[in-house]
Amino acid sequence: MSEFTHAVGFGLVTASILALAAVAVNLQVGVTNFINFAYGDFLTFGAYVAWVVSSRGFNFFLAVLLGGVATGLLGVAANAFIFRPFMRRGVRTTTLLIAGIGLSFITEQGITLIWGANPLRFNGVSLGTAMTVGPFVLTPGALLMMGSALSLLLLLHVLLSRTKFGKSLRATSENVDLAQACGINCERVISVTWFLAGILTAVAGVGLSLQENNLNPVLGFNELFIIFGAVILGGLGRPYGAMLGALVVGLITEIAGAYVDAAYKTSIAFGIVIILLLFRPQGVLRSAGKTF
Amino acid sequence: MLFFLTDLLTLGCINAIMVVSLNVQYGFAGILNVSQYMYVAIGAYVAGVTTMGRPTVPGNTWAPGWTLPWYLGLVLAGVVASGLGVVIFLFTVRRLRMDYLAIVTVASAYIIWNLIDTNYGLFNGDTGIFGVPYITGNANLSTEQYSGVVLAVAAVILGLFVWVSRRIFRSPYGRVLRGIREDEVITTAFGRTSWRAQLWVFVIGCFMAGVGGGLLIFYITAWSPAAWLPIESFALFSALVIGGSGNYWGAVFGGFLVLEGILELVRFLPSFGDPAAAGAFRLLLVGVLLIAILRYRPEGVIPERWLRWYGAPARRLWGRLRPGVSQ
Repeated sequence: MSEFTHAVGFGLVTASILALAAVAVNLQVGVTNFINFAYGDFLTFGAYVAWVVSSRGFNFFLAVLLGGVATGLLGVAANAFIFRPFMRRGVRTTTLLIAGIGLSFITEQGITLIWGANPLRFNGVSLGTAMTVGPFVLTPGALLMMGSALSLLLLLHVLLSRTKFGKSLRATSENVDLAQACGINCERVISVTWFLAGILTAVAGVGLSLQENNLNPVLGFNELFIIFGAVILGGLGRPYGAMLGALVVGLITEIAGAYVDAAYKTSIAFGIVIILLLFRPQGVLRSAGKTF
Repeated sequence: MLFFLTDLLTLGCINAIMVVSLNVQYGFAGILNVSQYMYVAIGAYVAGVTTMGRPTVPGNTWAPGWTLPWYLGLVLAGVVASGLGVVIFLFTVRRLRMDYLAIVTVASAYIIWNLIDTNYGLFNGDTGIFGVPYITGNANLSTEQYSGVVLAVAAVILGLFVWVSRRIFRSPYGRVLRGIREDEVITTAFGRTSWRAQLWVFVIGCFMAGVGGGLLIFYITAWSPAAWLPIESFALFSALVIGGSGNYWGAVFGGFLVLEGILELVRFLPSFGDPAAAGAFRLLLVGVLLIAILRYRPEGVIPERWLRWYGAPARRLWGRLRPGVSQ
């Protein structure tokens, strides 16, 4: 039984990191309607920038923030210079997908060239010693991670539901043409969404590298399809669904990993993705007519 | 110097075989298969374990350890790769839209990679198989001479596969495939079952990829999970799009230039002594090239040629039948 509750505890931590990433993907897919294959490498990029800042002796939280801003700007630049010109020409989704593969090469190999292929670690940042929290055994760092993920998502919820920008984002996500006709500057909304998604992404990247105690150029790429799994499970264009999807995928992978073999954790997550896409491609919660 | 050239050409031919195999799937039929390198890897493993005998170094295991002649190994490599292709096709390609298919192919390739990496009984797990004998059966051959031998075999097989591609492309079957690629609904409305047409071209592509993998392991004599990380499939795909998807010469060009040419080019840049950095720079260049091509020449360097079905005989016939023109 204790093995099970431990796994659930780990699953909750994984889920909170996944949730940030999945919500970010969901926001971006919502307004642009294509999946970004370079997304995993954006995650890695954010973690690396945070690592650089924190290894210079700056405050860790400042480092995460700067990593977020840098990743946000990377997203805005990718949109402005790569994806927007394609979308203006009205190309097929496949072309955007392939352009994402190209961008993924550029980002990942750029990271390797700048910071090297050897795995790195956040120095002086530790998750602390494990302690018993209710039925779970968690480190204070993991608790802090879950707390910050929750508060970020809450902040996003307020932004989406209570501000004018949130309203225009939801409108753009629903129907770009109609939103444009109502006087919403959709291109600006899309840019800001890329930026917001970038911030969430970087936080998820830092969380992931802390959890795995490892920072390497394929950190995010390896996680990419698990994130897609969470997004699809929750239903596209539904940020709250993505949170639920992340919870399910995170729990299943950790629990299955505890009972089967930790080496197959990622495979199990991929198995879920395949089964989902085969049998319920519209997501468990039906999305509002949104597809990739 | 001569070895450099033959080595380059041999690897170029093998890479071109892989890209040609992807071309029949994506270029002809529009099947977005982003896991082609998995079939290459399966082909390499099968060709290895069926021709090299049982492991001699203790602590290594692979099965079945047959000692078939190399050409049978190659054929088996293709057959097993296409068998796996049939299974994956019936489960995924048949049921999914193209963009989901990309995700599912990558995910299933990862699962198979993971299984092979952690199970030692079949292909020796993460250590991989090694010590594949030369196809000439003569171990005294120098590396230079051997690369010449493999070059000859690879060139012949590449030629054969290009010819097969050409036959498919020009046949009525190729036309059905192009129809499915351009508009599946209309082709279905004309009475074609799209998945049945795509199945054959997928199997042929997997067979070619498996044979390419077999040739690769005969040339480099070892294979392990580190050799077929998921990113290799992305590189193959990029090579096809840059070279010109839909055109078999474009695919050959992509195999030579993108996969082999850029690698060699990077090797000569003085500042990249570190092999990891050279590899990274190579893929970075591929990424830049890919986006530039998509932006400024989306049809690729050698674009797909449209066959003119209304050639000279047809035009003459039309001239005779045209209403209002007296003969």
